[in-house]
Amino acid sequence: MLVDLQGPWSPLLGRLALSQIPYENHILAPLFVVVVILGLAIIAAISYFGKWGYLWREWLTTVDHKKIGIMYILIGLVMLFRGFMDALMIRTQQAMAVGPDAPGYLGALHGYLAPYHFGQIYSAHGVIMILLAATPLLVGIMNVIVPLQIGARDMAYPYLNALGLWVTAAAAALVMVSLFVGDFSHNGWFGIAPIFELSYSPGVGVDYWMWVMQLTALGSTLGSINILATVVKMRAPGMTWLRLPIFTWAAVASNIIALTSFPALTVALALIGFDRYLGTHFFTAGLGGNLMLYTNLFWIWGHPEVYFVILPAFGMISEIIPTFSEKPLFGYVTMVLATFGIAGASWAVWLHHFFTMGAGPAVNSFFSVATMLVGIPTGVKVFNWAFTMYRGRLRFETAMLWAVGAVFLLLLGGLTGMMLAIPAINYMVHNSVFVIAHFHQMLLVIVYAIFGAVTYWWPKVFGFKLNEAWGKAVFWLFTAGSVLVFVPMFTLGFMGMTRRLDYVFNTQWQPLLDIQVLGIAVYSLSVLAFVGMLYVSIRDHAKNQVSVDAWGTARSLEWMTPSPVPFYNFAVVPHINARDEWAWRKEHGFTDLRPDHYEDIHMPKNTGIPLILGALMFLLGFGLTWRIWWLCALSLALIIALVIIRSFDSDTGYTIPADEVERMERGHHERARAVDLPAAGVLGGAIAYGQADPAVKGQGAALGGGMTSPEGSRV
Amino acid sequence: MDMWRKKLAHWVRYLALAPVLLLNGCSTSHFWLFDPKGPMANADLYYMVIDVAVMLTIVGITTLMIIWFLWRYRKSRGKGTYDPKWSHSNAIEVVVWGIPIIAVAFLSYYAIEGTYALNPYDPTVIKEHTVAGDDPLEVDVITTDWRWLFIYPKYHIASVNELVVPAHTPVYFRLTSSSVVNDFFIPQLVGMIDVMPGMRTKSALLANHVGEYQGFSADYSGAGFSWMQFRTKVVSAEQFQQWTQQIQASPRQLSYAAFNEFAKPYIDVSGKPEYFSGVQDGLFDHVLGEVMNGKVWPLPMAMTENMVDYMKEQNARTSTRTSN
Amino acid sequence: MSSSTSKAIDPSSVELWDHSHHHHDVLSTRTFGFWLYMLSDAMIFALLFAAWGVLSYSHSFAGGPIPADFVKPGYAFLQTLALFGSVLAYGFTMVALKNGNKAGVISGLWGALILGAAFLALDINDVVHLLDAGITPQRSGGLSAFFILTQTHALHILFGLLWMLVMLVQVSRFGFTTEVVGRMLTLRLFWHFQAVIWVFVFVFVYLRGMLI
Repeated sequence: MLVDLQGPWSPLLGRLALSQIPYENHILAPLFVVVVILGLAIIAAISYFGKWGYLWREWLTTVDHKKIGIMYILIGLVMLFRGFMDALMIRTQQAMAVGPDAPGYLGALHGYLAPYHFGQIYSAHGVIMILLAATPLLVGIMNVIVPLQIGARDMAYPYLNALGLWVTAAAAALVMVSLFVGDFSHNGWFGIAPIFELSYSPGVGVDYWMWVMQLTALGSTLGSINILATVVKMRAPGMTWLRLPIFTWAAVASNIIALTSFPALTVALALIGFDRYLGTHFFTAGLGGNLMLYTNLFWIWGHPEVYFVILPAFGMISEIIPTFSEKPLFGYVTMVLATFGIAGASWAVWLHHFFTMGAGPAVNSFFSVATMLVGIPTGVKVFNWAFTMYRGRLRFETAMLWAVGAVFLLLLGGLTGMMLAIPAINYMVHNSVFVIAHFHQMLLVIVYAIFGAVTYWWPKVFGFKLNEAWGKAVFWLFTAGSVLVFVPMFTLGFMGMTRRLDYVFNTQWQPLLDIQVLGIAVYSLSVLAFVGMLYVSIRDHAKNQVSVDAWGTARSLEWMTPSPVPFYNFAVVPHINARDEWAWRKEHGFTDLRPDHYEDIHMPKNTGIPLILGALMFLLGFGLTWRIWWLCALSLALIIALVIIRSFDSDTGYTIPADEVERMERGHHERARAVDLPAAGVLGGAIAYGQADPAVKGQGAALGGGMTSPEGSRV
Repeated sequence: MDMWRKKLAHWVRYLALAPVLLLNGCSTSHFWLFDPKGPMANADLYYMVIDVAVMLTIVGITTLMIIWFLWRYRKSRGKGTYDPKWSHSNAIEVVVWGIPIIAVAFLSYYAIEGTYALNPYDPTVIKEHTVAGDDPLEVDVITTDWRWLFIYPKYHIASVNELVVPAHTPVYFRLTSSSVVNDFFIPQLVGMIDVMPGMRTKSALLANHVGEYQGFSADYSGAGFSWMQFRTKVVSAEQFQQWTQQIQASPRQLSYAAFNEFAKPYIDVSGKPEYFSGVQDGLFDHVLGEVMNGKVWPLPMAMTENMVDYMKEQNARTSTRTSN
Repeated sequence: MSSSTSKAIDPSSVELWDHSHHHHDVLSTRTFGFWLYMLSDAMIFALLFAAWGVLSYSHSFAGGPIPADFVKPGYAFLQTLALFGSVLAYGFTMVALKNGNKAGVISGLWGALILGAAFLALDINDVVHLLDAGITPQRSGGLSAFFILTQTHALHILFGLLWMLVMLVQVSRFGFTTEVVGRMLTLRLFWHFQAVIWVFVFVFVYLRGMLI
């Protein structure tokens, strides 16, 4: 049944052999040493401080939506950095390899990256930035914020939530392993039929890519089911649909897209898998295969995916701008309509990714007009944000800067997007760097919104604010970098430069490529500033402590919880009376957060099974990539067995008695009254946010212990 | 109509890119998209100018409006009145939905018109420019890993990495690939069209100016992709006749069997053209049929992993050849 | 321009905290999530059907065997009977569950399990015969789509049978706890859903296949 392969294969190790470790590569070998040393240092540090138990109980086995969200964001940030390093290599390679006389280094003919290596780098850059940086960052923020905004104690399915996280982590691990064991795919993040067929990609790169994408698809599908069920089933009493905070609306629209579109990715990739493993002919050029079927299937997912990532970003902007304009969002209802307008249109535009395939003019016209229709609700959103600021009292704190920056980027992205939507123009700029610049503008909208959201919600999660001066430095450096990279890139698009060139044949493009390298250098400074901001903020966190409502003018429900949020979110679930509940309570003087009495709280127990399932999925992906069949069979059998075993465990929750809740709440209220208390030393205060408060430390298990489920963790 | 279009395009080209042009020594010739040399590329530019004019008006005004709001309503020293409850206005709603709807409706008209005008299978812009009695030239294009083969069926000749066409004559292309997907693109003459294995696409161009233009593949096709360029020489009708006669005298022949050899993976880092005479009849359809029946020219493992040695070898081979 | 002024509200008349003692309905939350999962599964099948639609033109079979040569709607109808019988048996299981009849649930599950296994056995028998006759998924794009679509459905059936086995153990061991009843309800959704998918497979692959 299985296909014949080029190269050796053994039953024990599959295609894996020592020669697959690129120890001769001048870039990867030193990097590998650095990674090993770094990994050992982290392990040593955890052991030295005796934090393994803490790590296992509090983080690795947690089902708390906030901690899961934080771990998603951590994965996202690490992968964002990895994707940035790829970008740095792409930009420097292109600037160094211009014209036939450009010198070559490290064995390359021009520049320092040989063709196949360059292909892997931009493919990894795309996969990582979209599926393992933007998606986990957004999913992480949704995870933290959505339950808080609707007054829920946790997600609808806490266990599934942890599973989604660890599947995503497995995907991230698999893409990182591909750096040091074998190759990654070279045919772009979206896969180009039929390059991914075995005849043109005989190595393991495409297999790595395929399984990384499959794992993220699985993780995202699980996550979307969870968020939708949470919003539909777990809203606090009184929270009608038209009282839903706008970010939650965005999360709903976005996850409807994810739920219905990720299956298309699953199918497209599975069919590649059948082609590559069984030798079927879905996407081959000959024997009845149809390579455009792949392109259609992929973009049926791919374009909705774009809106899956941008709608939460729009939601974040819609939360930040009202807070710092000190007034309600303009046109809430139209904003919701616009969100669903974008989500609905996302299903009918996929063909604009390949107007040049030679479809008839009627088909191209349909998709062109459908694409432009997206411009209508998007335009409405921009206007609504503008009119939110109108008659406001604008404060330009860091979060607001990011949000306003995102709006300006969106305007530019809209201008260029409307150009690309017209086939007559698209024929000229399709596959050019103009397209690259356009979608990076749009993704920068997301990045700006994410940085804004992280700044905005950081005090809610950790109990202290990020440093404003450093935050602004990050913003301006990042913006300068964006201008220096993408203005030249748009220009190069008009000059006719196309994407993915590892050797640039036209020497006239050199100056603009050099400016982009300068931009990347500025971007690097912004990365350093970001690290600096984290360091300074954590160092000074005792001075930056905040109370319940960190910004003073926030409007939605999450700002009614103590900062940092206790693991049960709301001691007593609030009854919702208005659209902006917290603003409504402040207006009418109901700011006292102490209910008259407390009740028992039922919470889910920690469990290590999702972590183990994630590890097994990693092994399964690795085994499939290298065709180590025994490993695949073993990990698959263990996955099924674990799922069944878990289903026999009915003891998955525990109850916190009302007086215990009251004691913990008293601690929070005392802390809220005196936010300038000295903090609990080093990182502990920042990361274990429940332990940040020494005032409650004396109360036994109150806060610090509260973070742990009384029963501890179980596997 | 053509005159104002040209003038407008010219004007916009300079104005929009003034800062960049200063940087590049004040010349538009580097901006292939703004320097069309035939009606196809010219029409692309025409629609771009319309679209940018409409969108830039809206986006520009909105940007200015937001900047004004940011200034006027800033908390520190802003002059605007603060209305903490204001969040709805039917009049504004009508405007914010109305403007994008009108703009999209307007642009949709041009989008559809342009799609038909530039339909690569039957571009009306070329028909408009064709005078009766014009004898169009037909060229069959096959991409391999990683070279361009241009077949002139009428003359039984073929050229590699060089496309020679007469000026003022419509040229109709049929395109297919023997390996993976490429994009046929000559920025100053004609927009992109996918070149796909086992399938046949079409395109067309008309060149108004004698000269040499860059053509290349715009869709990633593997390791040799960056070297997949071809020179497009637009020559006078007489020169074209001379050229065909010259190639017909070329000793190398291209039979079906010879194509099988030619289509093997090969990265040509020098980009030097090659010529074939005696191209076997129906080669294009033969290749199309072969690929549909499952014929592949698979890549050896060595061309998808560490390419360092192969690239050096190719460079050494071609640099000795070019030095002759 | 609607900017309302705030009216004073009597604090005693507003409800600020939830005192309804409401508990989230575990079963309905679980069932809702399962509907969402089925939506994504339906998308998977929809796209496989789309792939089958694209790859079932006569040229998609590349000169090899075409469905009209090998599909046997009569045989597939036997499979239909087996699967629908299984769904019916599961229906009786749910009636027994409603009445709290443990023996009825167990015998109903066994019935559904055996009939489902019969469906799968018929399917495997069919596939083995096709492969023996040289009708393989490697022969052409059309055959690839035929096999992958039908066997993806069969894989779902296999998964359902495994689930039934687990439920047999859980019902006899735990009785009708919330978890067990929840799982029985979602399994019912899953099983009916697979039967519905089979109707599409039967119509678009086996019946339409006679005409290709």
